[in-house]
Amino acid sequence: MKYLRSHSCPSWSRYDKGVVGKRKLLKILLSFFVLFPQFILAQEKYSFDLSEIEKEIEKKPYSISGYVEFRPTFYWLDDDAAFYNPDFYDRSNRSRLDEYNFGLLLDASYEKGIGGFFLRTYIDAVESEIESDAEAKIFEGYMSLKPSPFFTVDLGKKTLNWGKGYAWNPVGFLQRPKNPEDPNLPREGFIVASADYIKSFNGPLQTVTITPVLIPVHEDINDDFGEINHVNFAGKLYLLFYDTDIDFMFLTEGSKTSRLGVDFSRNITTNFEIHGEFAFINSFEKKFVDSNGNLFDETFDAKSYLVGIRYLTPFDTTFICEYYRNGTGFTTNEMENFYAFVDKDYDISLTSDDDSLLRNAASFAEESYSKRNPMQDYLYLRISQKEPFDILYFTPSITWIYNLNDE
Amino acid sequence: MKKYITGSILVFWVLSSSAFAINGNELLEKIDRNLNPESFEMYRKLINVEPDGSKKEYIMYSVKKGKDKIASLYLSPAIEKGRSTLRIGENMWLYIPNVGRPIRITSMQSVTGGIFNNADIMRLDYNQEYNCEKVEKSKGQYLLHLKAKTRAIAYDRVKMWADDKKLLPAKIECFASSGILLKTLHFKEIKAFGGGVVRPSVIETDSPLHKGYRSIMIFAKVKAIDLKDEVFTLTFMPKLESLR
Repeated sequence: MKYLRSHSCPSWSRYDKGVVGKRKLLKILLSFFVLFPQFILAQEKYSFDLSEIEKEIEKKPYSISGYVEFRPTFYWLDDDAAFYNPDFYDRSNRSRLDEYNFGLLLDASYEKGIGGFFLRTYIDAVESEIESDAEAKIFEGYMSLKPSPFFTVDLGKKTLNWGKGYAWNPVGFLQRPKNPEDPNLPREGFIVASADYIKSFNGPLQTVTITPVLIPVHEDINDDFGEINHVNFAGKLYLLFYDTDIDFMFLTEGSKTSRLGVDFSRNITTNFEIHGEFAFINSFEKKFVDSNGNLFDETFDAKSYLVGIRYLTPFDTTFICEYYRNGTGFTTNEMENFYAFVDKDYDISLTSDDDSLLRNAASFAEESYSKRNPMQDYLYLRISQKEPFDILYFTPSITWIYNLNDE
Repeated sequence: MKKYITGSILVFWVLSSSAFAINGNELLEKIDRNLNPESFEMYRKLINVEPDGSKKEYIMYSVKKGKDKIASLYLSPAIEKGRSTLRIGENMWLYIPNVGRPIRITSMQSVTGGIFNNADIMRLDYNQEYNCEKVEKSKGQYLLHLKAKTRAIAYDRVKMWADDKKLLPAKIECFASSGILLKTLHFKEIKAFGGGVVRPSVIETDSPLHKGYRSIMIFAKVKAIDLKDEVFTLTFMPKLESLR
């Protein structure tokens, strides 16, 4: 089974994807970003000192920065959902789950001459009634050589974020999947050797950037990327052409089957943007079960795509809307067979007092069916309001993810 | 004789009026050049002041080349550090280190909040975005009536009051296409930055739409430098710090 197991958002656990993620998937997240003002000082005339500013802008070769975050999440569980039983088989009649996530991100960098080193670590802790866990990871750690503004070489662990989609990136061949509930969460990278060559022009074609990437996959290096003992080659060509961002990308066959992609993004007006992605995945291998638990393989060329808009109203409300077609996802019939298989195992475990079958089902679900977006068609809507009621620096938002194949 | 004098006055008035109409865009270009060299770097402190006097401050490093390319890097506060913005013509992008890739933004949004929007913070030359339709002269000032060249420009109309000797703006009013006044920019504290750059070091703005709120932009270390076009690309956005 070829899939990417995400380590980027440890707080995303099975019950997120399963129980809450089934049926009419409705998630409402209220995000509050309140930045407290540094000073409370009422004064009629503002005074300033340029020499003070010049002290503040002094450049140092090193820098250390970071942040601490606290993210409480409250789940209302659907006990009719297929994943409820495999996820909660040993926890009777739970209808709610409160989860508290703590994160600490630290960035450090050192630059001298044409060389530089960048490090990003992330410590994540989750505390809930069923889970208590903490882990520290190096998300990025790479050396960078920049002999000129046109040319850069990076070597080490790095996150390569390809694609224009906000919630999903079908062309993100070299990255761990996003958490659509919070797509801006930092994610762990892979160990790569990459380069950027930039060229600017006058005329309709304004910029060209070529990005070749090598990704070694061995027993202890990038082993969760795909099949081991391969050095994978990928690349991206970026164009700014007629005021439109266009990327073409590829990944050659190796740890994964070969794939090609294209994306674009463009501002239509001062407050309206459109974007899209298309990915062609050669010889994708899908594994699925029938209602009796018999395993099947199917190999086919998969096509995934995404189209989206971003719209800002005159009242500073931002709408982000995306449709995602996941060509590698399961059909409604395949999911129904899986649910029937899980229900059967659950019934057997109730009558025989043996939960090994249910554990097996849970294990299979974990590998395949409980990926973040296991089915084929999804809609995403995020509405955020900047500074409502004139409360500066306060931006509440609502996110809605809808599985169109869920009947 | 009376007819001759009246005729001469009329001819002079017509000629002088048409001369102003023709020179409005040239005047605007001169004001642009006085505000900054064609290719330069600068530091800016942006302060948003709320009605109760509380403030939020940003410091950014910016580079600009030609009439339509500008890039900025946020140096503080810590939560914004490493963010960068890029503008090429009417295309704008925001790079957030956590997100790890540039995303398109629009001119009417505001990366910093407060009264300044993205078009104010990543301002191009006025003559790049506006045509001067009319110039009036009175009491040591020019009043330039500017009209946006396209609908993609943040403000449909702009009135600019400029000192007739220094050729530097003193006040700018920005209007929506509906005619509503969106904001007023006040240019203050003229300062010599070296290298022949003499310009207002403070821009203060207020808006009738946000009564009691003010935003202030303070300029420091404005300096002409040579920059490669490749600096103004999406790929270079995470690397802007290396220019400092």
